[in-house]
Amino acid sequence: MQTSVLERLDASAARYADKVMFKDPEQSLTFAQFDRLTKSIGTYLIGVTKPGDPVAVMSGRHVFTPACFLGAVRAGCFYAPMDGDMPKARLNQILSVIQAPNLLVDRAHLEMAQTLDYDGNIIVMEDIMETAADEALLSARAATLVSTSPLYVIFTSGSTGKPKGVITSHLSLMTYIDSVCKVLDINDTDIMGNQSPLDYIAAVRDIYFPVSRGASTFIIPKNEFAVPTALFATLNREKITALCWSVAGVELPAKLGAFDEGKPEYLKKLCFSGSVMPCKYLKIWQEHLPDVLYVNQYGPTEATASCTYYVVKEKVDDDTVLPIGKPYDNYRIMLLNDDNTPTPDGEIGQICVSGPILALGYYGNKEVTDASFIQNPLNANYRELIYKTGDLGRWGGDGNLMFHGRMDRQIKHLGHRIELGEIEETARLVAGVKDCCALYYKEKATLYLFYTGEATSKEIVLYFRANMPAFMVPRKLVNLDEMPALPNGKTDMQALKAMFR
Amino acid sequence: MDELMKILQELRPDVDFEKETALITDGILDSFDIVALVGELNDAFDIEIKPNNLVPENFNSAKAMMALIEKLQDE
Repeated sequence: MQTSVLERLDASAARYADKVMFKDPEQSLTFAQFDRLTKSIGTYLIGVTKPGDPVAVMSGRHVFTPACFLGAVRAGCFYAPMDGDMPKARLNQILSVIQAPNLLVDRAHLEMAQTLDYDGNIIVMEDIMETAADEALLSARAATLVSTSPLYVIFTSGSTGKPKGVITSHLSLMTYIDSVCKVLDINDTDIMGNQSPLDYIAAVRDIYFPVSRGASTFIIPKNEFAVPTALFATLNREKITALCWSVAGVELPAKLGAFDEGKPEYLKKLCFSGSVMPCKYLKIWQEHLPDVLYVNQYGPTEATASCTYYVVKEKVDDDTVLPIGKPYDNYRIMLLNDDNTPTPDGEIGQICVSGPILALGYYGNKEVTDASFIQNPLNANYRELIYKTGDLGRWGGDGNLMFHGRMDRQIKHLGHRIELGEIEETARLVAGVKDCCALYYKEKATLYLFYTGEATSKEIVLYFRANMPAFMVPRKLVNLDEMPALPNGKTDMQALKAMFR
Repeated sequence: MDELMKILQELRPDVDFEKETALITDGILDSFDIVALVGELNDAFDIEIKPNNLVPENFNSAKAMMALIEKLQDE
């Protein structure tokens, strides 16, 4: 049994030394080069950290970013990745939660990092890359890790207007990676095409398939997703065999007609997650690439990326609803009713997860952690935590789990998880917004904000652009004289939904 | 041009479309902006933007977009 991902990195670096591990349009790193880089970064970090410290990392879409992550791990620390494209206010919120003594940046992000509300130590990656590796120090720090040590903290939307940092352990990550590799049959002949931002949960596959299985990952430039013909040309030039993309990313080329011009010739495996797949787009992929293995995944960040999977063997139609399938190995799923009694087969209940893949909680937030990760109400005999996902599910007759939406106001938009409450909390901070209600028009994937007050839609959008990630900016703003209300005084959301166009 | 500017400003009020000339190359418009924009332009100008039209040169500036729209309207 391995105690940390470092054992995997050591093994793959020895076995695949001269093979390409990470590549972007500018440069590539072999397994040996990557390994050496993590040791240099790690050795430097040992001098400025204590074992178990968080290291915040803000670095771009290039091959050195995963090396910064693993460099922090080499120092016996864990990493908290941040997307430098996010507005300053959001980054400041993340820094205030994680309280990391060190912030590791690439040179391109240095100037921006210096403008943040951060009084810790800012380290430029390029300055420490040549540090001579000290194997004795590195082994001593590696020995401080146990499999339940935190590996990373990834931030996600929180309904109170503050992001929540989900803490994942080495054990959870390795468990998930092994389970998903088994389903997708990921091996050292695979070349992944990375779509997800590197700070986001979905990138763990693109980072840890190479570490664990000797696969390679090509980091696709973000703006190629706006140019579908260039995207497919890149997949073919790099001979990409496997994609683990958000549903939104899989939809894009189909929506923009990329298959009229060509197709990814080398693709063997496509796994998607993040939201419900509209099958009219999956159908287009299947028609052009009938031999590809298609896998639908479901699961929250709190249960390490994905809990269940469904291999799509059938040819889908426009109106096919895919099951979310069966639990991955080492994941346990149960459905509970509101009163914490078991949901009978065939009925809808809340999806709850347990197993070694449960997150360690929300960083620095005991209250929300205790409310979300609870003792299994069906077990009175020993400690067994479960995570209540807030998602509704139903066991189908064939043993596959079906997804039945959310219990609360959390939505999935462009592959990201958003609390509508957080959009409203933010809008209320704009001068001239009195009352507001955020709603999601699912059919058109459009985020609406209905509001009263004299603020202009431009003022509101500018405020969001300055303070929130791009995917949380409302696309349609509707100014109302007053909010429609139900007899009990609450906002009449159905009346607002009737205004979708 | 006025109609195009109106669509662009509603889509991204934070961007100065009069001045920017590298909207795609510099990543100012992302893929999701493009998906939304293509739909709006197709409807508003009664054109059909094809995947081979989706190259940075056609979307890097408002002027380039207008040229593309006029070209597609003539076809």
